[in-house]
Amino acid sequence: MLSLKYGQTDEVAALFSLCRMDTLIYLLVYPQRPLLTTRTIELVGYDKLGAGQNATVAVMSYSGYDIEDAIVMNKSSLDRGFGRCIVMKKMSAIVQKYENGTSDRIIRPQRERYDPERLQILDDDGLASPGEIIRPDYIYINKQSPVVTRGPITSPMGLPDSAYKPSIQTYKGPEGETPVLDRVSLCSDKNNNLCIKFMVRHTRRPEVGDKFSSRHGQKGVCGTIVQQEDFPFSERGICPDLIMNPHGFPSRMTVGKMIELLGSKAGVSCGRFHYGSAFGEPSGHADKVEAISETLVKHGFSYNGKDFIYSGITGMPLQAYIFMGPIYYQKLKHMVLDKMHARGSGPRVMITRQPTEGRSRNGGLRVGEMERDCLIAYGASMLIYERLMISSDPFEVQVCRKCGLLGYYNYKLKTGICSTCKNGDNISTMKLPYACKLLIQELQSMNIVPRLKLTEA
Amino acid sequence: MEGRSYQRFPTVKIRELKNDYAKFELRDTDASIANALRRVMIAEVPTIAIDLVEIEVNSSVLNDEFIAHRLGLIPLTSERAMSMRFSRDCDACDGDGQCEYCSVEFHLRAKCLNDQTLDVTSRELISSDPSVVPVDFASPSSEYDNAENRGIMIVKLRRGQELRLRAIARKGIGKDHAKWSPAATVTFMYEPEIYINEDMMEKLTLEQRMSVVESSPTKVFDIDAKTGRVVVVDPEAYTYDDEVIKKCESLNAPGLVEVHPKEDSFIFTVESTGAIKASQLVLNAIDILKQKLDAVRLSEDTVEADEQFLELDAHMRGG
Repeated sequence: MLSLKYGQTDEVAALFSLCRMDTLIYLLVYPQRPLLTTRTIELVGYDKLGAGQNATVAVMSYSGYDIEDAIVMNKSSLDRGFGRCIVMKKMSAIVQKYENGTSDRIIRPQRERYDPERLQILDDDGLASPGEIIRPDYIYINKQSPVVTRGPITSPMGLPDSAYKPSIQTYKGPEGETPVLDRVSLCSDKNNNLCIKFMVRHTRRPEVGDKFSSRHGQKGVCGTIVQQEDFPFSERGICPDLIMNPHGFPSRMTVGKMIELLGSKAGVSCGRFHYGSAFGEPSGHADKVEAISETLVKHGFSYNGKDFIYSGITGMPLQAYIFMGPIYYQKLKHMVLDKMHARGSGPRVMITRQPTEGRSRNGGLRVGEMERDCLIAYGASMLIYERLMISSDPFEVQVCRKCGLLGYYNYKLKTGICSTCKNGDNISTMKLPYACKLLIQELQSMNIVPRLKLTEA
Repeated sequence: MEGRSYQRFPTVKIRELKNDYAKFELRDTDASIANALRRVMIAEVPTIAIDLVEIEVNSSVLNDEFIAHRLGLIPLTSERAMSMRFSRDCDACDGDGQCEYCSVEFHLRAKCLNDQTLDVTSRELISSDPSVVPVDFASPSSEYDNAENRGIMIVKLRRGQELRLRAIARKGIGKDHAKWSPAATVTFMYEPEIYINEDMMEKLTLEQRMSVVESSPTKVFDIDAKTGRVVVVDPEAYTYDDEVIKKCESLNAPGLVEVHPKEDSFIFTVESTGAIKASQLVLNAIDILKQKLDAVRLSEDTVEADEQFLELDAHMRGG
């Protein structure tokens, strides 16, 4: 069977994907067949492998949380399963064999050694059991490695317990997520080592910040989630699943999306899947907008796809007719849960002693040059001092007022000493960014002498 | 309080009433009242739905949370819901929400033993309370065909697969989760008043009159076969689409047909999920609306506000 993966969307990647141990897989919970297709889509069989859902879209403005392509979503639709997806991630562990004949071992959990909570998903065989809820810091494999892995050793198989050191693996995931251990598989890798793979599954409902897209490249994040009773409704009782801002249309000129809306609306009304291609109208491989409009009128809709809508908040009719109908929407794999990040204190880079960079290293958020320029322009000197020094890489240095070079602190004499002047007479203590001290020393190594000139503040 | 009374006496006229469908007129009131009623029906009338699922065995193709989500969305008959307690303020049980006053227990056991795919439906859910069961659309009053009805699909099992679980259903409201919403569709429209200017209509040819009739996507107008006059057959079919008015303008006869929404008259359509009867849904909504108003009236803030308004009132009258 064929395995299909299309860029960023959540979908049934392959019909047997649930049996495979993929590193990362996104599955949509209730995939649907698009109401509006093309002949090519049918030929390729893309409509058999649903990647999205037919959402009823109202093209209008709502609440201000829909600017810049953001979409407003209906909470009841989300409750009923719209945009729900399953995320599966693989974690693997290898029981390594070493050159001296020793190998890693997996043993039953020692309750006295670790916090029992961290061990609770482990079975007696030392592996986490499927179906357990796994939380951050839980141990999923209780593995030990031999201390000595090189050189000849007597009886490599019968090592005492003291010859092993723990090499447990713990689950690292976002707090607040409650993933389930889906499957555990044991196999051998290419070096004939035992390889254990764990699949972790998590079902996610859409939240503010998740990214969605129609098939016309009109992507947008969810700006807010609104209760159904606040959503606009038509007198037939139709209530949209999501609201899209009309500003997305003029500059992008996605006429296809409007045709899709019309075609899908006619499709649900008359019960026939329509073709939405821009080509092939003469040969009947695409439905003409005129024909679609006729179908709409036959089923009591306006020919232009616009509906008379009441505000759900006040119960009064809206001032304008609203372009409303189904559009096939796909959930993209960019979800806030994987991207959100904040840091108070945390790891630092060894060489500069500044906070690390990037979410994966629990890094800080950089105050860059432009941000710094703003602060300078505003005159917020204390804030600059705090951001660029205190919260970054403060360092205390001993500066010689005479030669302007950096000295050191002698803990025995409890004074700073200038190593160039060989005394501690003219030493001042001051704070510098560690990166500045580093620069000074690097310049010195290149035969450039930076000297600090100190004046009384 | 002295001054003019703005009290109105709304009237309700029932047009059509079925178990899961109701259509009625609400007259002599404002959009605010009509909308409040609609909002309460969707979001605040309580029902019972499965809230907690303990899975013993699940070897089906769907994972546990998938099945739990599907179970939650099954409508349960909820006549009891109004008198039941929310599990969060139930004092009979110590907060775990598993006593008879605030919860109903369900069991499901299904195993496929032969080669034919077994459909596990809502009919296999065994309730601990005979008054709270999955909605049965096969009831004689319903128009669904009995032979066709197999309950609501939960999961399909192939040979050897098994599903065994215990579920707790609790009372809740649609605001918390849509599974507790008893309303499938609640909507209203302003009753339209359609005037045909007969004098101007007289001047049109029969063909032009036909075009006026056909301009509306819904069947609002027709031509009287005897007199040849345009008559309104179904004013409520009018969807405020303005197509007729545009047509009249294109015929150089603006004002030929005029449509005005009646500001104080609404036609409601209520469809229930089956959890409670549509009529009961409306009545419960009114009860809840009353409770909410009582809460406002009895709160101390309102008393304070009233005093302020009295001062304001006096001020306005130049006192």
